[in-house]
Amino acid sequence: MKIYQIAYKNLLRKKTRTLLTILGISLSAWVLVSLLGFNKGYEKALSRDIDQLGFQVLLTAKGCPYEAATLMLKGGTGLKYMDESILNQVEKYSDVKKLTAMIMHGVFDPNKGEAGGITAYLGIDPKTYPNLKQYVKFRQGTWFTGATLNEAVMGFEAAELEQREVGDHILVPGTQLELKVVGILKRTGSQDDGTIFVPKQFIQQNFNLQGKITGIGIQVKQNANLTSFEDQLYKLPDVQVVSLTQVKETIMNLVATARVLVLSIAIIAVLIAMLGVVNTILMSVFERFQEIGILKSMGAMPIDIFKMIWFETVFLCGVGGIIGNLLALGLSIVTDILIRQILPYSPSGRLVIIDGALALTTLLTIVGIGVISGLYPAWKAASIRPLESIRSEGA
Amino acid sequence: MHGFCRNGLIMKKYLSFILIVFWIVSFSFSAVGCDLNDPDRDVKRLFPVSTGYKTLYLSLNKDNLSKIEQRLGDRFTGLYETVDVPYTLYEIYQNKSLIGYIHGVNQKGHYGGLQVFLALNKEGVIEGFYYQKLTSKEASIFRSQAFAAQFTGLSLNEFYDFDIKTLRGNAAVLAIKNLATTAEDDFRSTLRAVKKNLILVDEFALSNKHLPYYK
Repeated sequence: MKIYQIAYKNLLRKKTRTLLTILGISLSAWVLVSLLGFNKGYEKALSRDIDQLGFQVLLTAKGCPYEAATLMLKGGTGLKYMDESILNQVEKYSDVKKLTAMIMHGVFDPNKGEAGGITAYLGIDPKTYPNLKQYVKFRQGTWFTGATLNEAVMGFEAAELEQREVGDHILVPGTQLELKVVGILKRTGSQDDGTIFVPKQFIQQNFNLQGKITGIGIQVKQNANLTSFEDQLYKLPDVQVVSLTQVKETIMNLVATARVLVLSIAIIAVLIAMLGVVNTILMSVFERFQEIGILKSMGAMPIDIFKMIWFETVFLCGVGGIIGNLLALGLSIVTDILIRQILPYSPSGRLVIIDGALALTTLLTIVGIGVISGLYPAWKAASIRPLESIRSEGA
Repeated sequence: MHGFCRNGLIMKKYLSFILIVFWIVSFSFSAVGCDLNDPDRDVKRLFPVSTGYKTLYLSLNKDNLSKIEQRLGDRFTGLYETVDVPYTLYEIYQNKSLIGYIHGVNQKGHYGGLQVFLALNKEGVIEGFYYQKLTSKEASIFRSQAFAAQFTGLSLNEFYDFDIKTLRGNAAVLAIKNLATTAEDDFRSTLRAVKKNLILVDEFALSNKHLPYYK
């Protein structure tokens, strides 16, 4: 009988112990591969969300956005506005490739949810905004026709949820203002999906905000120096500059901090699993003290015993690693949902991306751990002296 | 120290921006299903004598979808009228006895989606009617007790004999007055939603007992 067959049969003799050990390793592998998949997926999703905004720098009115958000959610009147004439000043900077003015407005809708809610409209410049959003494709219709200001373009989800099609109307809550839907976007996987776009003049005229805007989106030239450009923008009165590259870095830094903590936990879990494997195999070696002695007395060499015990360890880790990978792949959607509930902000799209390379790397890591964990028990078993083990029976 | 504070402010600013741009939009369009917003409260309001309820999640298949379209007299269209849409039926109990049902449907309205809920006794007769979601210039009229009361006592017996396209047929249904005369579309949509709702409850819970009334 081959030494590997003996090792395999040894594992089957104590099925519960073997299963529990494999389960421990599987869970460690699952955590590890999911975490590495999250690392990859989150950055990709965040980059895509920011890239799809169509601009790298956003200029907003000076003030506290948190306060503005709170006020807006309470009644839609707390947004900070800036003068539209700033657009002409920004246009003169040499680093600017394209720019567009926007005005956001929230209206309280008493029919939304249990206690009412805010319906937000993004007022855009029909001439400049589409140039910055060239990736956008329409499911129906197109951008504003210009025939009237009372037109709306709806994101995919916004239209689906309200069952709107091109030619349908929407009512601005709390007013008698009607908008005709002229375009519905295809799904973008970004925040555009839930947005209702209207001409900015519609908001300015109907909500007494003539000459006011809430933001300017700026697309910079390819070789522009973003830092010096931002410094130039800060010289403008009463504005604040939000660089989306920095937004991304800031979020990634925060996520990295959380990731270090979780990674530490994952490493501890892997170490515990590793100690569990050592413990299981050592117990197995001590239980089979006499058997190993008999094997040796029948001619088995120390290297055969070493290989047998080592194989058991590597086999447990290999199977555990494969199951862990399968768990991570199969439950990646569940992991995605759980992570979204924990994180304060999650970009759209998949947060956990597990590909073949990642799965293989994790599997090799787990098997590598098995190789190391198995050394001591295998050495211990290989060192058993036949006569001592046989005598121990009488003792 | 100054640098730390500045970094903290910048971080706060960026996060605030992200929250505004992404969060408000997502807040505005959270998922809409046709479940009761607050089942415990709503069940007690619609059936004051109830002591409990059971929630059932049901769906149609391709075969009964086409049959229901025939009975309704109109095709199912749009997001909320596909074969994949799950329906939530609430069975209402008084102690251990079934006393009725609550069921809601989504319906396209003039300015947006409507959610029309019916409270039915165990024979499928309407005991309560209300809009959980409605966007209309005349929302207050549609939501009034006077409008809702017109549906009480009706069932599929009457609605099977009513054409939702021509608005002709059963006298009892024709007696339902559009109290918001400037919102004819939403009135028609409401009648369609009620008929669809009754047909679905008949299919899901009443073993199509009203089918003999279908002509």
